[in-house]
Amino acid sequence: MDYERSVESRVPQALKIIIAGGFGAGKTTAVGAISEIAPLTTEAEMTTLSIGVDDPGQDHTKVTTTVAMDFGRVTIDESLKLYLFGTPGQARFGFMWDDLAVGALGAVVVVDSRRVDDCHAAVDYFERAGLPLVIAVNAFHGRLSHDLTEIRWALSIGDDVPVVAFDARERTSVRDTLLVLLEQALARAYGRVA
Amino acid sequence: MTAEGTDATGPDGGPSIRPFLDGAGVSPARPVPPPAWADPTGLRPYVLTAGRVPASGTGIGPETQVVARDDRPAILAPELSAIVETCPTPLSVAEISARLGLHLGVARVLVGDLRAAGALHVETTDPTRPHTPETILRVMRGLRAIS
Repeated sequence: MDYERSVESRVPQALKIIIAGGFGAGKTTAVGAISEIAPLTTEAEMTTLSIGVDDPGQDHTKVTTTVAMDFGRVTIDESLKLYLFGTPGQARFGFMWDDLAVGALGAVVVVDSRRVDDCHAAVDYFERAGLPLVIAVNAFHGRLSHDLTEIRWALSIGDDVPVVAFDARERTSVRDTLLVLLEQALARAYGRVA
Repeated sequence: MTAEGTDATGPDGGPSIRPFLDGAGVSPARPVPPPAWADPTGLRPYVLTAGRVPASGTGIGPETQVVARDDRPAILAPELSAIVETCPTPLSVAEISARLGLHLGVARVLVGDLRAAGALHVETTDPTRPHTPETILRVMRGLRAIS
């Protein structure tokens, strides 16, 4: 019994944030910028029904997909670890989001302002899932090809979803983006308490 | 009462590889051959899980913390033993999966098996329970400390 207790008392609480984005949007860069470990990769292979209107030309049959998921870790204190899971943002990877969304603090959708379309599905999904959400537009080399208002319009997101510009390579910039997300989460948590 | 010395070595001290796995892509020339079950060209994930896929409602997610129990059974299959050995200190299922080259789904099934076998303590929380403001504030404080 003592063993049982000692083992359990050593186990920290684990929380997670989803970092979704299209290929090359900078999600892995963002995970790596803030993670205390070099981002690790795991593969998820699943048979899934492709969802959404990703590629209208394709028939929506069951397919087996292997997707690499990069993730990082931030130790908050000795009894709390935060995991950041990077996942592709296109609709055909939506099957991964169900697993990730359960119990997540929220989702950051990383947007390449030159390819806003890549993240439509992720924005829709996390908004409908009721997760705290932040749209983080990666400013490649410090510049955006569209301003944030245009991106908000293009993604047709509500005013309650923050849209921020950030630099995925900068630790403090990624940190601040996560803090914007947590503000969202906090507001909801207080809303529930009140 | 404790079962120490659980490891994945065979009778000759080498990695314990089942006979039918010989030649499944394990290169003997490498000082530390990768485990046969981790070779993507070797075993298909469903072989390791006997065709099972992660069930929903097990409470085992990618971030779930797992730690080896001191009173674990002494003898486990090699792929199970390898999992137990990666987590003398708490580790997430995703990290176990990445370190051992196991598919995430496979790792989740096997971690569930090891929990049932009494080899792992799996820290499950109710994922549907909303986060408290205190928890969120703690994460924010932790992040603000990053510079």
